[in-house]
Amino acid sequence: MLDIKNLQATVSDKQILKGITLKIGKGEVHAIMGPNGSGKSTLANVLAGREGYTVTGGEVLYEGKNLLEMAPEQRAGAGVFLAFQYPVEIPGITNNYFMKTALNSVRKFRGLPEIDAMDFLKMIKEKAKLVEMPEPLLSRFVNDGFSGGEKKRNEILQMAVLEPKLCILDETDSGLDIDALQIVAKGINALRSAERGFIVVTHYQRLLNYVQPDYVHVLSGGKIVKSGGKELALELEKKGYGWLENKEPIPTAG
Amino acid sequence: MVGLKTKNLSLQPADAPVQIEEVSGVTRVHVPAGCRASLIDQTESRLEVTVADGAQLSYYKLVNETPLAIHQSFLEVQVQKQASFQSNVFLFGGAQIRSTIHVRMDGEGAECALNGLYVGSGSQIIEMHTLIDHIKPHGTSREFYKGILDDKARGLFDGLIIVQKEAQKTDSAQTNKNLLLSTEARANSNPELKIFANDVKCKHGSTVGQINANSIFYLRSRGVPEAEARQLLIYAFASEMIEPVVIPEFRETLFQCLNSAISTKK
Repeated sequence: MLDIKNLQATVSDKQILKGITLKIGKGEVHAIMGPNGSGKSTLANVLAGREGYTVTGGEVLYEGKNLLEMAPEQRAGAGVFLAFQYPVEIPGITNNYFMKTALNSVRKFRGLPEIDAMDFLKMIKEKAKLVEMPEPLLSRFVNDGFSGGEKKRNEILQMAVLEPKLCILDETDSGLDIDALQIVAKGINALRSAERGFIVVTHYQRLLNYVQPDYVHVLSGGKIVKSGGKELALELEKKGYGWLENKEPIPTAG
Repeated sequence: MVGLKTKNLSLQPADAPVQIEEVSGVTRVHVPAGCRASLIDQTESRLEVTVADGAQLSYYKLVNETPLAIHQSFLEVQVQKQASFQSNVFLFGGAQIRSTIHVRMDGEGAECALNGLYVGSGSQIIEMHTLIDHIKPHGTSREFYKGILDDKARGLFDGLIIVQKEAQKTDSAQTNKNLLLSTEARANSNPELKIFANDVKCKHGSTVGQINANSIFYLRSRGVPEAEARQLLIYAFASEMIEPVVIPEFRETLFQCLNSAISTKK
């Protein structure tokens, strides 16, 4: 469903991605691991269409279409979803209203009518249970005053509501304690299906204890330096990233 | 129910024992001791209000004039012992709008909160001048004004808080936040404190900024088109001032004004 060919990108004139080639098929979970500064988050943001990233080479085909030509909202409408590393707080807009607006926007792209308000409320309450999101958080302003764990759960909740085909999780595990990590992982696993592809960007192996990937890729210096199965993540956990970079192991950080 | 006392003022509850009289072009409002009331002001240009001991008054004003209109209003308030005055001023339409509020915190333990929202576009000029004069001790004042300015509109927030020598233990905070929607819009913010007492808690701050690019991207990444995302964020910024309005019909009118102001934004 996603075909990344020799993708190169710069941020403020600095070359971050130096030729990434990666194929994601339906139903597959790909973990992208790597040290800080390797380009993991850049890859996630380029795929979602964030401003400030300039693609300098290569191409990305999503369901056969040129993804890089599409506006961020068109990508969302076509079924691409980015779970943010740092979800944005929007005081003044309630979580419920935000998610209803988002859902109706992607439904419009998909040629579906707006969802009935009552049906929406019923649906959101059901999906909130999936990520153990307390109901009062639905009527609070978007992420406003949420804890780190609540923000990440809110990302997974949005993912459940929008039902994307390609889910990109950008360091969704960062800053989570073990309980929150398990809840988030449970939510992700519940959304796994034969039709849905996942790119799980993470620094650590620990999320992958709960969300078992089909493939693991190591990104270093803007390139994929090693690919393998889920056992590769365990090897990285033991040896660090140093042996792949021919450098000292990089100290871990949140 | 909204009761009509003069053609331009309405009182809630309608039978509140508030005295309203007009003397040579000035409307005087007296809220007697212990009384609680709300006052909606349509167009009174000169208003003098006394909130007597222990009384509470919430004051609401909406200015939404035709595009060529010039609006000036002057509100003078005296807040007496343990009394509380709250004002909510909303400035939308009009070529030039100038709203002035002077509050004398005349009694010990007096409270006041001045809130305001101004939304300007085209070549509108909107000015807010406020003065809160703390005369007696243990007074509390809060000021929160927000502005949204588009095109070549100009907004001025000019807020002075004076804490007199006798007004010890005064607790005062002043905030002004502005959202600029175009490169030619201007917001001037002059929050000012003059403190003559030595045991007080006072702070002030102001911001002028644009719509946060991260927030726009967040909404777009969830499928919301860019123009709609911007409108939603402007709405969110303004609704913080409108949402707390407790009179349902008035709040509804404000949201209508806001929506029609936003609907033209790209």
